[in-house]
Amino acid sequence: MLARLAVVTLLALCLPFGPVAPAHAQNSLVVSVWGGNWKDTVDRVIGKAFTAKTGMPVEFEVGGTIDRLAKARVAKGSPLVDITFTTSHVGRLYVSDGLFAPLDMAKLPNAKAAAREALRSEYQMGAWSYVYTIVYRPDLVKEEITRWSDLWKPSLKGKIAMPDFDPSHIITIAALMEGGNEATWQKGQERLKALKPSIVAFFSTDAQSQDLMKTGQAPVQVMLSVNAYHLQEQGIAVKLVQPKDYPGVVGIDCMSVMAGTKKADAALAFIDLALSKEIQTELAKALKAGPVNGGATVPAAFQGQPGIFLTPSEWKERGYILNDEVRARNLPAWREWFTANIVK
Amino acid sequence: MRLLLAPAVLVVAVFAAALSALLRYSVLEFVPGSLQTGGLTVANFTGIMSRQYLGAVWDTLVLSAATTALTLVASYPVAYALARTHSARVRSALLVLVLAPFFTGAIVRTYAWVLVLGNTVVTWPVPMLFTPRGVLVGLVHFSMPTMILLLAAAISHIDPVYERAAASLGASPARVFRRVTLPLSLPGIVSGSVIVFAWTLSAFATPELLGGGRVKMIANVVRDLALDSFNWPGGAAFALMALVITLALLAGAGKLTAVADRGA
Repeated sequence: MLARLAVVTLLALCLPFGPVAPAHAQNSLVVSVWGGNWKDTVDRVIGKAFTAKTGMPVEFEVGGTIDRLAKARVAKGSPLVDITFTTSHVGRLYVSDGLFAPLDMAKLPNAKAAAREALRSEYQMGAWSYVYTIVYRPDLVKEEITRWSDLWKPSLKGKIAMPDFDPSHIITIAALMEGGNEATWQKGQERLKALKPSIVAFFSTDAQSQDLMKTGQAPVQVMLSVNAYHLQEQGIAVKLVQPKDYPGVVGIDCMSVMAGTKKADAALAFIDLALSKEIQTELAKALKAGPVNGGATVPAAFQGQPGIFLTPSEWKERGYILNDEVRARNLPAWREWFTANIVK
Repeated sequence: MRLLLAPAVLVVAVFAAALSALLRYSVLEFVPGSLQTGGLTVANFTGIMSRQYLGAVWDTLVLSAATTALTLVASYPVAYALARTHSARVRSALLVLVLAPFFTGAIVRTYAWVLVLGNTVVTWPVPMLFTPRGVLVGLVHFSMPTMILLLAAAISHIDPVYERAAASLGASPARVFRRVTLPLSLPGIVSGSVIVFAWTLSAFATPELLGGGRVKMIANVVRDLALDSFNWPGGAAFALMALVITLALLAGAGKLTAVADRGA
């Protein structure tokens, strides 16, 4: 028995090291995306349509933003997935390590109808948009919130929560309020320090943020618009603010083709399909996110709402888009300063 | 015999490979905004010597010590009752109560504490959720079942004859406990304390959920550095420093255990 165990162990050791794609994945297009509603929506809206059109099955590799980045690094050169959905600034890290292939725009005819802002780099094409904005529960906060500057009101002391894993949004807003921007973020430091007494908690995940809102522990949050709409669907009466003084900070989740994939053409066909007017309309409806195709339509109730941009002027005026490269480069310094001066 | 050692050698080899990767990353230059690393540097180690990071180490040590002390005090009476009760029914009921948390999982238990500590079930006179106090409560609750089982095992090995002999010679129950039971249960106290202290040093989920981002222990800082700041070299340096501290503390605790064993 022990000898057999030793033989099995030795055989296992003799297997080639490195990631090996499962056999069934070799005939399918493999898409890396966040789990839960994100994966379900991408599968239902894009995946099924892609399979119906091409006959090629679509499989999914799900995980958190950084987990998937770590996996992609390990599999560099022979990727386990063909397409990756990720945030635009984290996509910059993939690009820095040569993990994405340049997009062949000739094979993305639907990209012509996409908003200029959606093409984040020659490697990254936006799939949908949202904003980080103020979200609050009017049943627990009597005073109406209409501006970013309202967060500094004494009446909101001990009521606000915000993400600590990525303080980019509030740091940028504080800088904008002091005449700076994400590159000159230091201008907003003193203003941000003045916000400290108002912050009751920081969250590391969307789930924590939603729990804080549901339980009323933090009835005012700087939150992802998509998550706020999700809370509304669950019956939590939250209000999304379209700030009057400075716009919300836009997030664009992007699609990219992995460098080294043997199914680059299929991957590009998938991305092109995702950019089509019909699929963009369905994605906007399902995710409550903004479409990147200007020809897509959204339900009347969502037109003009935070994170939904339908015209070039809406993209320009109703959202602030961070420079992805500056954001990716500054994020470590932002987090360190934020943790030392605001969190502690 | 050599074949029997093979699994152990394999485990050691995997750990050694992981540690060498950690060591390699810790001396590579971090390039902000890129996954590429630069040349060799010690900047990652000087970087983590700031007040912010050393503060997290200090907070971890204080919370671990406080958790160990409170867990011991809260667990001893339960363990004593478990070991000394003559009623099989009481022993079974206590065992079920002690073991029940093992079946719920750390995340579920901690989420329950979020509700209890967050003024939604009870109104607390002082803020509990997202404070070190709240994290301490969660850590003590998490550690108690293990401490109770270890203490109960140690106490059950003490022959009740010693306690009866002390009592027959006129010692009060408190004196019997102080002079006989407590010293004889010292090996259980030390081993339980070492285990609780060691795993509290690496606690992650409890401070993450009950600390609300304000209470950072070592594991949370490593995660923040590596996964949120993308500073893998910095995270590796901090993890290595934490590993050295943990090994030093455990070596000290090991000596303490040896002394306690000799004393018993």
